[in-house]
Amino acid sequence: MSLAKDLTNGIFRENPIFKLALGMCPFLAVTTSVENALGMGAAATFVLICSNFLVSLLRNLIPSKVRIPCYIVIIATFVTLVDMVMNAYLPELHRSLGIFIPLIVVNCIILGRAEGFANRHPVLNSVADAVGMGIGFTLAMVILATFRELLGSGTWLNMNVLGRNYANQPLLIAILAPGAFILLGFILGVFNILEKRRGGAK
Amino acid sequence: MAEPRRFELAISPHVISNLDTRRIMYDVAVALLPALAAAVWFFGPRALLLVVASVAAAVLSEYLSLKFMKRPVSFVLDGSAVVTGILLAFNLPPGVPVWLPVVGSAFAIVVGKQAFGGLGHNIVNPALLGRAFLMASFPVLMTAGWTAPVNRDGDGTYSDTHGIPVVELAGVPGADAISGATPLNVLKQSFDLDSGAGAVELEGDRAGADEMRLKAASMRRALYGAGTLKNLLIGKRGGCLGETSIVMLFLGGIYLVLRKVLELRLPLSYLGTVALLGWVFGGGGWFDGNPLFHVLSGGVVLGGIFMVSDMVTTPVTPRGRIIFGLGAGLITMIIRRWGGYPEGCSYSILLMNLTTPLINRLTRPKFFGEVKKNG
Repeated sequence: MSLAKDLTNGIFRENPIFKLALGMCPFLAVTTSVENALGMGAAATFVLICSNFLVSLLRNLIPSKVRIPCYIVIIATFVTLVDMVMNAYLPELHRSLGIFIPLIVVNCIILGRAEGFANRHPVLNSVADAVGMGIGFTLAMVILATFRELLGSGTWLNMNVLGRNYANQPLLIAILAPGAFILLGFILGVFNILEKRRGGAK
Repeated sequence: MAEPRRFELAISPHVISNLDTRRIMYDVAVALLPALAAAVWFFGPRALLLVVASVAAAVLSEYLSLKFMKRPVSFVLDGSAVVTGILLAFNLPPGVPVWLPVVGSAFAIVVGKQAFGGLGHNIVNPALLGRAFLMASFPVLMTAGWTAPVNRDGDGTYSDTHGIPVVELAGVPGADAISGATPLNVLKQSFDLDSGAGAVELEGDRAGADEMRLKAASMRRALYGAGTLKNLLIGKRGGCLGETSIVMLFLGGIYLVLRKVLELRLPLSYLGTVALLGWVFGGGGWFDGNPLFHVLSGGVVLGGIFMVSDMVTTPVTPRGRIIFGLGAGLITMIIRRWGGYPEGCSYSILLMNLTTPLINRLTRPKFFGEVKKNG
């Protein structure tokens, strides 16, 4: 498969959130604001690229019987890196993402791409796949976070968009857990409609 | 040439009943009218405005969702959206802005009902889901919008939102502190005083603790007084729009029973459980609660007649219906006594709605001749 195809694969056709339904836990938990979503997306993308790179590089050296522990060690290394760097330079963001940074270790997308793609593809393709998946994940997070932040606090990236009156009486449920599920349902519905239209045009 | 009439075979039952969705729904809507009249009488014409806005929003969003999903638009006339709209408005404080029931109804219909596939497929009562949605979204509006009933009898027997008349209120020391709340709010305040008294006693202030306990007990005595209970019965107290006038709600309930729409197992087991548990732990200690107060206050009568009996979201088997009522009553009383909210009626019904498929399966009647699996 060509590099470009691997790259774009994760953005729409196999979008990790909307199509594969992977990585739902951080997706639902940290999308309360666009800022958190971008931070989480960047962190996950970095880990994804590094782990895919390393797993692909070592794919002929890792014995298949112990491959999962090996992936976990590789991923955990990069997550620890991200955790420490974020704590040092972006303490605010680090505090608001909280436990979900360490939890990237068990993120299904990263483990899934290591097992399902990097394990059996050359390095360059694996990196391209990781970049695409990372962008797809970040994009999905930003889409949901946009709706949740707009409805739940009337702001976007902490800028007041809907006016003071709305911000005083926002639709609080949007930034609570049920709001995440309800909005995800609607977004998935729209995504499926788009998909059907695209399929019908073929 | 017309086609020859085909010989049609239908499976049993062959009894044709005129009990269809539209008739049931409009019967329910009619049964809600007395309570609506009481709401307008006690809370003014604004109550009517809220109900109309809610119904209009419900019907409009039903129409739009059906249109969007390319389903027959005629479903909008089956009356279920009207009932959902009225019930949602009945579950709101009278002082809320008009857009609140509009938002709530739209959510109830679109997410609570149509997203699951329309009438008959919704897993929880849409009106209650709408209320829970508003409760989570606008907690301030939903808990501060209580207005006192219109004072029509002069100052002598004037009652505030808590419904306790002046005569009964005289027995409570420092009674000003309990204004601006519903009867169940006052009950909750008395429970808080009781637990506060325990903390004060631990600090060594025996006299202060006794004073707090005395006040809590006198608050409860005022709530259980004949004057208060009379106010609760006719609906002269603060509360959600449609839940206050117990007499009018029962009037609607009797109409539904006569029209054979309401089956008595559900309301009776629900209200019975609330009364029994109200006596067991609804007061300060054990076995000293007032069952009558617990049935008359809050929304259990509205819930018991019109929401516990929703045909879609409650069990179909006779035994299952009794289990449903018992469970909902238990959850209501636990929330009232120990929960964070003063009233637990709507959450109890929502939670039990979720167990309905399990109850149905548990109480499935045996086929004739069926043998127990490991019997």
